[in-house]
Amino acid sequence: MIEFQHVTKKYPGNIIAVDDVSFKIGKGEFVALVGPSGAGKSTLIKILIREELPSSGRILVADRDIFQLKEKELPYYRRKVGVIYQDFKLLAKKTIEENVAFALEVASVVPGVIKKRVDEMLTLVGLENRANALSEELSGGEKQRVSIARALVHEPKLLIADEPTGNLDPVNSWEIVELLFKINKQGTIVLLATHDKEIVDAIHKRVVMMKQGKIVDDREDGKYIL
Amino acid sequence: MKSTEGFANFIITSERIIKMAAISFWRNRWLSLATTLIIILTLLIISVFTFLALLVNKTTVSMREKVDLVVYLRDSDSEDQISALSDLISSRPEVKSISYISKEEALSRWRTRYATDQNLQDIINENDNPLPRSLEVKTKNPEEIGQVADFLQSEDYAPLITRLSYQQNKDMIDRLVKITSFVKKIGSGLSVLFLIISILVVYNAIKLTIIARSDELAIMRLVGATDAYVRMPFVLEGVMYGIVAAVISSVTIVISYRILTPVFVNYLDIGYDVGAFMRTSLWEVVIIQLLIALLLGIFCSFWATRQHLKK
Repeated sequence: MIEFQHVTKKYPGNIIAVDDVSFKIGKGEFVALVGPSGAGKSTLIKILIREELPSSGRILVADRDIFQLKEKELPYYRRKVGVIYQDFKLLAKKTIEENVAFALEVASVVPGVIKKRVDEMLTLVGLENRANALSEELSGGEKQRVSIARALVHEPKLLIADEPTGNLDPVNSWEIVELLFKINKQGTIVLLATHDKEIVDAIHKRVVMMKQGKIVDDREDGKYIL
Repeated sequence: MKSTEGFANFIITSERIIKMAAISFWRNRWLSLATTLIIILTLLIISVFTFLALLVNKTTVSMREKVDLVVYLRDSDSEDQISALSDLISSRPEVKSISYISKEEALSRWRTRYATDQNLQDIINENDNPLPRSLEVKTKNPEEIGQVADFLQSEDYAPLITRLSYQQNKDMIDRLVKITSFVKKIGSGLSVLFLIISILVVYNAIKLTIIARSDELAIMRLVGATDAYVRMPFVLEGVMYGIVAAVISSVTIVISYRILTPVFVNYLDIGYDVGAFMRTSLWEVVIIQLLIALLLGIFCSFWATRQHLKK
């Protein structure tokens, strides 16, 4: 489904952020991408959602080389890849409902369909009763759930979670991880980038370990080896 | 079915985009006001100078159309002498036409010309008419007036003629040509200067909006908004500045037109219908304004959003 082929990213000054990374993610997989800060996880994710281009290498998503995508095709690709971040990236002055609906509005979806999809997503993340709360009034865990609802609203095949629990307390963190499991069970690939050892060690999933831009370990039911 | 859906989507998207642009225009109303004022100023400067150039130009053309040479005759000349002189002039190759103005005709022209001035009307009447008879000569080429005049000033004809009037017209035309070129130079200089200022101000205003909303824009791109969708509200914002400015400037011009036309008509005795000319030019000026304002808005917003979308 997703295949990284010798992906390398160099920045000016000969800084190598990602160094010859190759691995595959199959249908319905849950993969933890782990490593200390600066290991290259975020750069790899930026390349995967085409916020940045690699210096060399290819990434195939559903057999399509995403670096061959034209500028025009990018928005449509991004709708098929949901992303959530440590800082949630919500519109503070809008309600939960509006934040989720926003992702559909920019895609010219008609209001009736938007309402239905948003309701489904809010139910999935357990916020159906708080639809009209302003996002700035929410707790961190709630905010992350809103951002998950927004990421899933286009029914992506792949959900990328870039340090989703970085700003959350342990209880909220576990709620988010549980939610990611639930989404994964429904068939969405989940790529969870994190440096939270406790979570990685407890989930018994495939772990891809990065250090200094390279993959140093990749195994099923892996542990975070320091 | 597919195409109606497409149309519905287009309408919905347009609605959302227009709403976003309107909100942004209103949220930054002071910035919007300053920006709009600069565009208005620019449009007014362009319009006033365009109008002045058109007016002076039209006057020059109209002056050229006028009689080139007037030969004022002595009261003592006989009809035969005048007729012979007239034939002689019209036989010259430079001459396009010639017409004879009798004393009565001259008087009626005088009356029309000074219709509003009773004092001047009273000076002359049918019984005591000092206005001379004259021959009005048009040449094929304004440059050839001199040759005809020289010919008439030779000794053979001088006794028949009191005065030739041609020098005044030529001087006037020369002066008008100079004024036209002056007005054009100053006008285009100022117009270009203010256009540049406007472009920078509008660009800056849109840039500020973009910076203020950069988080929202980043999120829009993140959730898969197309470039056009991200860009359109800003383009519309630019267009709104343009339209609002063009409307206000046009209203100002229409009002000034109403006030100034009678003044021009009274004080510019230049031999054509100044009022009608101003009416025609008015619409031209209004349309040109609108076009300039729209282009300005679209150009600036594309320019301002270009860098942002490149990321």
